[in-house]
Amino acid sequence: MEQATTKPFPRKIGWAELLKHATLIVTCVLLFFPFLLMLQMSLKTQKQIIFELFQIKSPFHYDNYAKAFREIWPLVGNSFMMAIVSVVLSVFLASLAGYAFARLRFPFKRVLFAIFFLKMLIPGVANLIPSYKLALHLGILDTYLPVILFCAGTTMPFWVFVMRTFIEQQPKELFESMRIDGAKEWRIFSSLAMPLMRAMVVLMSINVFTFIWNDYIWPLVTIPTNTALYPITLGLARLATLYKGQLGVLTAGYTLACIPLLILFIFTMRHFIDGLTSGSVKM
Amino acid sequence: MITTRKTKMKLSDYLQRGKNRTEMALGLLFVLPAALFCILFDWYPTIDGIIMAFYDWNGYDAPIFVGIQNFIDLFAHDELFLKSMKNMSIFVIGGLVLMFPTIIASVVLFRVRNSKAKYVYRVLFCIPMVIPFIVGLLMWQYIYNPQFGFLNQLLKQIGLESLRGVWLGDADLAIWSLLFMGFPWVTTGAVLIYIGGLQGVDSAIWEVSQLDGVGPVKKFFALEFPLILGQFKLNLIGAITAGVTGYTLQMIMTNGGPAFSTLVPGLYMYQLAFKSHRYGDAAAISIVLFAVSLLLSWVSIKFIKSKED
Repeated sequence: MEQATTKPFPRKIGWAELLKHATLIVTCVLLFFPFLLMLQMSLKTQKQIIFELFQIKSPFHYDNYAKAFREIWPLVGNSFMMAIVSVVLSVFLASLAGYAFARLRFPFKRVLFAIFFLKMLIPGVANLIPSYKLALHLGILDTYLPVILFCAGTTMPFWVFVMRTFIEQQPKELFESMRIDGAKEWRIFSSLAMPLMRAMVVLMSINVFTFIWNDYIWPLVTIPTNTALYPITLGLARLATLYKGQLGVLTAGYTLACIPLLILFIFTMRHFIDGLTSGSVKM
Repeated sequence: MITTRKTKMKLSDYLQRGKNRTEMALGLLFVLPAALFCILFDWYPTIDGIIMAFYDWNGYDAPIFVGIQNFIDLFAHDELFLKSMKNMSIFVIGGLVLMFPTIIASVVLFRVRNSKAKYVYRVLFCIPMVIPFIVGLLMWQYIYNPQFGFLNQLLKQIGLESLRGVWLGDADLAIWSLLFMGFPWVTTGAVLIYIGGLQGVDSAIWEVSQLDGVGPVKKFFALEFPLILGQFKLNLIGAITAGVTGYTLQMIMTNGGPAFSTLVPGLYMYQLAFKSHRYGDAAAISIVLFAVSLLLSWVSIKFIKSKED
């Protein structure tokens, strides 16, 4: 909220204002501290880390990054594959269903909607073992599929609900006029509903992407032996045992793992912040 | 009269529907894939999990129905489970107390006058959200490293060598070390949600409070905190659920040790299922966790009243 009292040239910045900034700056420094520590360690040898942890001076060891890159790169690819397919699949299906619930009439609509709505109220905290059992029986362990399919299944309830609410808030006339012009439902969905939902699509995409990027336990369970398919999370944990005692290489690997999401964030920053701030739910 | 009107409505309704047969088919076609995913990969495991809790199953042989025996075993004979529940309550209570730095940071950020500075802080607060969770954990693991970890090196540097500890390897310290992680305990995603709540409030309220000369502390308790109670409740439920059911942290940092001092029920469930192949017992634990988190969430919704209620 822009406050009316803000003057173009505030001559005096009071103590109170300084204190606020100080609090926030200290908080930020402490928040980022582990990552700054990580960055400076990633350029050091083990000896430098043990004896000169608090000094930043050359020689810098960029070769740490070369070593870590070789280990990390294929796993970044794995995480990307799983995340992209999950995002495309779940965003597409959720917005399609959301549109239909908001604007179309079809049999069993209430029953079908209840399937999503009730699942939103019953969280899947007890799902790990039976989900594993299902993946085992479907014969899809040690593939990308468990991560992709179960992610699509579990994100559906919340986001179908969000998408439906969002489409319902849009003026009905827009859709009616297109229909009168003779557009088919698919065209209304793809060239009117989807563009309208852009902000929600971005928010859901980032949400699903970061979920896959951070997931540790589910891939650990469902990709038990095929290390070539490991996502980045499992890869980092494995790196920690592989390069035990080589903190420079390890921290270089951690740094590399941060880069893709940071890039994604930079491109979508505005949508992300606005979506989170304005879409804040009230209870 | 009324009946004829009703039949008329029905008739026109019927005609309308007849015209839109394709709409009906398309509606189903649009919804069914999403519903199928939800049923197969979310509903089915949920229901299967509830059923499994009443069976003995080792993953290979046919499951044997045992009724509530799994639950009786957990509460009556399983000391590890009881210990893990005790640890869980420490994590839950700790998690609730550690929600407050976030609220204070949000209010301070909201009170900053310069809107450009405000935006910069918000962007900075977003960045930790996109850093992989596991990277943060692994860095804290290093910070706690007993030989050359940051914390012990720092203590040596400032001449407090006597305070050096084996942070995660000490059964008395480990759980407190895990709670200390994430210092200064500001959850940045929640900050944005609180800010959103405060922004939604009519600006006249702030002007009036300024004219009345309300002090900063009183303003917090009388205005800001009550105004974000709704968001607080939402985050509270999130924190409770995370505290009751989460175990990635404990799994990566200590794997429940030393001497089970950081074992939580979720991790115990994982170990029972995937290490000991006692799937039935593990499913029973997950049902207990489900019930506990639901109960605590219900209590917090019930007893914290927000303005909108």
